[in-house]
Amino acid sequence: MVKIKKTGLNEFIEFLINDYDVYSPADVGKKIAYKKIHSAFEIRHDITNTHLSPKDIFFPQSEVLFQYSEDGMKVPEKNEKPIAVWGMRNCDTSSLLMLNKVFGDAHQMPDKDMYKDPYWKMKYDNCLIFNQACNEPLSTCFCNWFDGNPFAKKGADVFVVDTGDHFILEGISDKGKVFLTEYKTGEKVTKDDEEKIAELKKTAESYLPDVVNTKPLFAKMNKIWDEPIWEELSAKCINCGACTFVCPTCHCFDVSDEGKGKKGKRIRLWDSCMFQLFTREASGHNPRGLSTQRVRQRIMHKYNYFMDNYEQYLCTGCGRCVQVCPVNLDIREVIKQVLDYKLVKNEDK
Amino acid sequence: MQQLVEQVKKLIKDKEVDVVIGWGKGSLSLSATPIFVETEEDAEKLIFDETCRNNLTTYLTKDKRRISKEYKKIGIVVKGCDSRSVVLYTVENQIKRENVVLIGVPCNGVFEKKKLSQLVGGKEILDLQIDGESIIIKGRNFEQTHSLKDVLCDSCLTCQYPDAPEHDYFIGTPRKDVKVPDAYKMIDNFGKKSAEERWAYIKEEYSKCIRCYACRNVCPSCYCPECFVDQNDPQWIGKTPEVTDSIIFHLIRNLHIAGRCVDCGACVSACPVDLDLRIMSKKVEKEIKERFDYTAGTDINEKPAMASYCENEKQDFIMG
Repeated sequence: MVKIKKTGLNEFIEFLINDYDVYSPADVGKKIAYKKIHSAFEIRHDITNTHLSPKDIFFPQSEVLFQYSEDGMKVPEKNEKPIAVWGMRNCDTSSLLMLNKVFGDAHQMPDKDMYKDPYWKMKYDNCLIFNQACNEPLSTCFCNWFDGNPFAKKGADVFVVDTGDHFILEGISDKGKVFLTEYKTGEKVTKDDEEKIAELKKTAESYLPDVVNTKPLFAKMNKIWDEPIWEELSAKCINCGACTFVCPTCHCFDVSDEGKGKKGKRIRLWDSCMFQLFTREASGHNPRGLSTQRVRQRIMHKYNYFMDNYEQYLCTGCGRCVQVCPVNLDIREVIKQVLDYKLVKNEDK
Repeated sequence: MQQLVEQVKKLIKDKEVDVVIGWGKGSLSLSATPIFVETEEDAEKLIFDETCRNNLTTYLTKDKRRISKEYKKIGIVVKGCDSRSVVLYTVENQIKRENVVLIGVPCNGVFEKKKLSQLVGGKEILDLQIDGESIIIKGRNFEQTHSLKDVLCDSCLTCQYPDAPEHDYFIGTPRKDVKVPDAYKMIDNFGKKSAEERWAYIKEEYSKCIRCYACRNVCPSCYCPECFVDQNDPQWIGKTPEVTDSIIFHLIRNLHIAGRCVDCGACVSACPVDLDLRIMSKKVEKEIKERFDYTAGTDINEKPAMASYCENEKQDFIMG
């Protein structure tokens, strides 16, 4: 373990910047989001969690896949330095593991490289995640519904705890351990520090909501697709894409060509199942033309389809969608309503 | 708001409406949530306070849901701005006024989440209490008192129609004459800056847009069955969150709502990245007011500014 005085953090960040492009929570407009930083002074430590998720670092909202001109085609090259992210909470670290199953692993056909996304792998494969313990979960947090914990280390390369005056760093993955051996500070982690960490963990956990057992959600959802519950659940949704864009796990995208004359580019863009255009077919037919159908899609994808494909739910309980929804359509209530719902049509199936 | 509950119960009992769209308590301390009341029992859930930000009339026009398909008569609880939206829908032939029952409530202004959050340095707010002209904001480890005026939506601070001018029933006591500061001061001040400064501000501001279209979707005036940004043949606009594309979206949206924006502030509240959306909409509103002496949603017998023509209108913008 490595102990760094907060006032000396910049030294560490500079050390990191030597080998990595470093991202951290920082001011972006009036909000806090992940941004590439050049010194530790840009980091916002005083936050609970960022308003926007870090998925943008590895899966940008708009990403050029290739450019073309008369001289041929140009594919973006790998950055010189790999990416390091400082200050990521475990809800977000876990979300990257989920996205990696989709983009990085070709999960269902792991031996087929052709289904692995080079743009994702180029950024994610060598990255170094400094997963910071979440000392103060918000009232909108519900990571504990999905086996999460504010002090979880899953997916972390280095686990960081903010103990007030210091950061305590613990190598988790091989890559993280190796990195930490290279950094020397004079400070030693003491028994007091360890007690402090245990205490912080206890306090953080006390802020979490009562656990809801989400295990039965998958089976329930298998029977619920054509039940009348969706009209009720979706009634107030106005079909904007705010929830999907702030979500660390939503990953649907669109591909758009922007060209003029003999040159142009192909771009991959975040899309949202909340939008009508998302499923409109060339014929004009839209299989998900109604708001209800689109809301059902989003909820089913998170708590059923993804489980079917990847054996886990596509939600980390970060609560960002709860915070931004303009009509307060709270996904926690949706989960509870689905769990409590008494099947009307498919009782015996 | 027992009076509101009783009124709605009566409307449902007398079968004057099939549903009443109102606000219920939300899951977060700062937000009420839209509810659809069909039974007398459900009417008990209705509330009206400073957390009731949404302009519920937006549910009347959009592809939405069961609304207007199954329901013949819809009741809506309206604030001043919301009632203006109903006037707008009527003059634009989107609804028949007689099919909607408006229950007006006297509005003292609604909270702006962003202002509240800024006041407490981004800390999470868990409870709010109004005490006369001040507000007590409570969080996990803090309690602060601020002036109520500092946490209300900008639109509310310059609102001249707090009493739902268009209504069938009115709950409570109207505020009547309200003194408001000059609504266009912020536009005038912005206009005094140099073109470079203004452009720099707009560019900086709108480069943060994530194109989630929450502003458009909550907007009661944005009800096109198919928005121009959703057309892909021809494609009118680039889909990236690059500032050039985002600005085009916001500029066109603002021109589309010229003379139609009721300044309810729903877009501002909905924006997940806190864009200064009123800097554009208020400017357009002022232009319309000066050129056509028209204020959206205030006169149910007047044709919309952009759908009528008078010979004596200023036309100096056509030829220099």
